[in-house]
Amino acid sequence: MEKNYYVCTGCGLLCDDIEVESEKNIINKVYTACRVGVAHMKEVRGEAGFRVDNAPVDEATAIREAASILKNAKNPLIFGLGTSTDEAQKLAIELARKTDATLDDTSSFCLGPLVEALLQDKIKTCTLDDVRNKADVIIFWGADPSDSHPRHLSKHSYFPRGSEKQRGWEEERTAIAIDVRKSHTAKICGNYFFQIPPEGDAEFIDALIAALSGKLPKTSYNYPPKKILELANILKGAKFGVIFAGLGLIYSLKDMEPVFRLMKALNEKANFQLVPMVGHYNMRGFNENLYAETGYVNRVKFENGTVKHGPEYSVVESLKAKTVDAALIIGSDPLSSLPRSVSKNLLEIPVISIDPCETLTSKHSKVYINTAISGVESGGSATRMDGIKVSFKPVVETARLSDEATLKKIMEAL
Amino acid sequence: MDFGSFLAAPEIKIRIVTYRDIFQDKAMIENRFGEEYRDRSAIIKLDAADLKQLNVKKGDTVILSNSFGRIVVKAEESGYDTPHRGLAYMPNSPWSNMLVSDETGGTGVPKFKDISVTVTSAKGEKVTEFKP
Repeated sequence: MEKNYYVCTGCGLLCDDIEVESEKNIINKVYTACRVGVAHMKEVRGEAGFRVDNAPVDEATAIREAASILKNAKNPLIFGLGTSTDEAQKLAIELARKTDATLDDTSSFCLGPLVEALLQDKIKTCTLDDVRNKADVIIFWGADPSDSHPRHLSKHSYFPRGSEKQRGWEEERTAIAIDVRKSHTAKICGNYFFQIPPEGDAEFIDALIAALSGKLPKTSYNYPPKKILELANILKGAKFGVIFAGLGLIYSLKDMEPVFRLMKALNEKANFQLVPMVGHYNMRGFNENLYAETGYVNRVKFENGTVKHGPEYSVVESLKAKTVDAALIIGSDPLSSLPRSVSKNLLEIPVISIDPCETLTSKHSKVYINTAISGVESGGSATRMDGIKVSFKPVVETARLSDEATLKKIMEAL
Repeated sequence: MDFGSFLAAPEIKIRIVTYRDIFQDKAMIENRFGEEYRDRSAIIKLDAADLKQLNVKKGDTVILSNSFGRIVVKAEESGYDTPHRGLAYMPNSPWSNMLVSDETGGTGVPKFKDISVTVTSAKGEKVTEFKP
């Protein structure tokens, strides 16, 4: 019997082996997905809706109002898009160009610098399929996929019997966690958990590089040199090693130089690749789409056909400095996910929120457009955390507009 | 012992590291204004010795405050094997984000995972609510 598989857009893994039972456009059962994936696909939906100033309106009014906000703004901010399809992202880039907007996404304050380094070939990388089939040493650094990407270890990185790893985790794979706390993933790594103090990553990297070349590894926090030397020995023996880099690592580094140094040192002794633990299902897609268009992965400002780039065009700095005078937020809830000390400035400007669910941001928006959940109620394509392109179809039908359709209508109304 | 311990309501300075939690994520998807999401977000996991110094029991509410905000959350014992006095853990959420500094050194990256606060007993005050 031919099975009908769907893609879960619950996180950056884009699991493509999901089966569902649905009736009358309601999903009753979801198989294979993780806890987060099931919740995502069965997300409870209220009535579709359009609001202006918190009062229900028709579609045309909401679109007209959104277009008028963008038209009247000198420097609108377009932000979000990590849970939008490639098609919607490309339209948002076009819209940003047309409205001389500042455009940014969540990668601006998470994994952007690493994705940029991968796109510029500064770091060796591989696919999750390579990891499943070949990886013998796997490092989770400042990452806890057991909580953030629940099927990471079972589908790709540790437990599966890959084509060249038939004896699996029991004999052929070593999983290592480097973290500031004993996460659920660290527990799985057992004795290969290396607990470091907050912001101790850069020093640990340099100590590890020293150990790789047989020198005595030293840290100001007196990490036992013997343990670092043991770790270095395991890494030196890797035939196909992978570092899964998470936010814990990124947030503790001032820049990516320590990561570049480590990858260079590892590849002088062994074979190592790095994959960023991208959270939102199409954050990497946004980075790639913007890079193809402008040469930058995020933080851009369009102005009379030119593109400027820099931290001052990041969502955080532009809100903090109040340089933006309106905001179009697509599939994101900055009032919840950014520091309130920064996001409070959103309350002073007109905000358009395009989101499948009500959020603090949507509740405080001038215009709210309730859209289809992409991957569940609308289809498209996206980029998995490892750079693989994935296309998906909707699981159920909906009368709601997709992000793509919404952006198209706003663009036409401009 | 620091001066705070001698106050009528002891207060201590704590560094908070935030983390992701799958059960909390699931609760957010189901209803971000719901009780389950609040109960799984508005918590702080402290070292047992810090709980004792604060004179609060597991499940009591505590006030976390700094110059950026003030929230009331439930105190829990972390249960980690290694002692971590002065360091506490919170799931990343609108609650933890109330306390994150806007100081970024112009980098555009706030310190979401490194938050300094003062903790004191909330003496029964209810957990901070984020109502739409």
